[in-house]
Amino acid sequence: MVPSLLHPPSQLSPAAALQLSQQAPAVLQSSPSTVSASPLSALFRTSETPDLWAKYENLLLSCLRTGDEVAARQCLERLVARFGDDNERVMAFKGLLKEADAQHNGDLDRVLKEYDQILKDNNTNIPITKRRIALLRSMGRVPEAASALVQLLQFSPTDAEAWSELADVYFSQGLYPQAVYALEEALILAPNAWNIHAHLGEMQYMAATATGAAGGSYNKYMAEALKRFTRSIEICDDYLRGYYGLKLVTSRVLKDAVKPTKQADEDEFTLPDTTTVEQLNELATAKLSEIVRHYTAQDLGWRGYDELEVAAARELLSKDGSAIER
Amino acid sequence: MAQIPVQTIHRDPQLFYWILFPITAVMILTGILRHYATILMATAPKKLDKKTMREQRSLLHGISVRGSFHVLSKKSFATRRDALTTAYESGAYLKDPERRGQAPPNPMSDPSSMEGMMGMMKNQMAMIIPNTLIMSWINAFFSGYVIMKLPFPLTIKFKSMLQAGVATKDMDPRWMSSISWYFLCFFGLQSVFNFLLGNDNAASQMAQQMNQMGPPGGAQMFGPGVDPDKQFLAEAENLAVIEHYSVLDGVEQRLLDSIVV
Repeated sequence: MVPSLLHPPSQLSPAAALQLSQQAPAVLQSSPSTVSASPLSALFRTSETPDLWAKYENLLLSCLRTGDEVAARQCLERLVARFGDDNERVMAFKGLLKEADAQHNGDLDRVLKEYDQILKDNNTNIPITKRRIALLRSMGRVPEAASALVQLLQFSPTDAEAWSELADVYFSQGLYPQAVYALEEALILAPNAWNIHAHLGEMQYMAATATGAAGGSYNKYMAEALKRFTRSIEICDDYLRGYYGLKLVTSRVLKDAVKPTKQADEDEFTLPDTTTVEQLNELATAKLSEIVRHYTAQDLGWRGYDELEVAAARELLSKDGSAIER
Repeated sequence: MAQIPVQTIHRDPQLFYWILFPITAVMILTGILRHYATILMATAPKKLDKKTMREQRSLLHGISVRGSFHVLSKKSFATRRDALTTAYESGAYLKDPERRGQAPPNPMSDPSSMEGMMGMMKNQMAMIIPNTLIMSWINAFFSGYVIMKLPFPLTIKFKSMLQAGVATKDMDPRWMSSISWYFLCFFGLQSVFNFLLGNDNAASQMAQQMNQMGPPGGAQMFGPGVDPDKQFLAEAENLAVIEHYSVLDGVEQRLLDSIVV
């Protein structure tokens, strides 16, 4: 996939991010440094489009990532010139640049104080609230970040981004039930997001296999993880992570020979019977090897997969194959 | 049946330069002016304070839980339903819980809703004033004679529209007066404004009339005069009557049936 400046660059590989940020001089030169809002110039020049500002934002992020702070500053200047110093989004970008400039923890503390000051003046500035949380987290003050996120979600419970960040924070702390709850909230807001379904499956798989999971909750988590992966494949039928997770879960279930016990609690999911699990395992294996084969041959229409993910799938398959041979 | 003779009226060719063209130019210029006047007069959307935001988004949260409950397992849905209905019924998310149960304030006396009305008034004024002025200008200067002949035949019904101000009974309806030209411009300049000012311009009357017909849904939902407590109670009831099913029920079988490798 060719990286485009029109999409947020958070998911890009380092090489792609570098490629984007190297476009910076060309992009900055090709568009005028200020866009005048006066009607006369609008008649003669091409008018501004939302795309332009999205480009600047994404370029800014890519440049910061690759250490090109001169270009990042130029992008920011253009955003400030257009939207003014007190635009919430622009304020967050300014803070981001200051964080990038910081040499040591003292500088970061100062940025944090500035955020606190801004939030004292305007306590609904969501971009700055999020920056503050991200900064707290990157400074290692994870519990504070979690409580700030909870506060944010108390007055804005329809923010899927914040819910998934909270899930990630809890997950990194090993608090699986909380993480699952938060990610379910994100799923409510985006009910057909196959990646969130699969991610939820991953969390539940880890919750099930983590030490200390008792027998009952093991079954429950495994069953739901299996179903989540299945659902994510049902929505997106060539999603590698979905198949990978499905294979992982079904192999584990088959290996552990979990009995689909008739549970007292009817509300919970139960594992399907062994034949179904075997069929699902076969399906996942077949599809994974298909993906790996086509990706290795670089067939048309199969090139979009992430290289590392395909490598992991290959490894999983080979591990499985050797297990069968033995 | 006698053929009606083709009517010919000798008109000064200067009519085109001194009447048709000026009216069109004035109409276009007023449209552009109105566009920029509306932009200048527009007030920035009012900032929500934290409590209002919480009130609105909590309600939206409940609505999205209700809308996509099927992605949850029965247990996690029940947890959320219990939490939400309890909070809704106790009024925990309300902006000012003390005022619960009282009648909503009169939208006329509430300053925040006055602002919205002022905005609407401003738009109306920007529409009405220039149109009245131009119409009276045209009436004062150019009324009482025809200025052009349309290149296509029309039925008699159009007479009153096209020949406003010219009271001749037998004249072919194809002849039109200046005030009719004004009306034609009034309704027909939409595409010109789209070309000059972009698609979401404020110059066209059509778009404004559309806006008056149906205000956007968001404004109605949290608009003035709506009692959030009632909305919360209704939402709690909606949540309570949901019969839960999960999209994960039997998903394995569905998948095995649908996917063939």
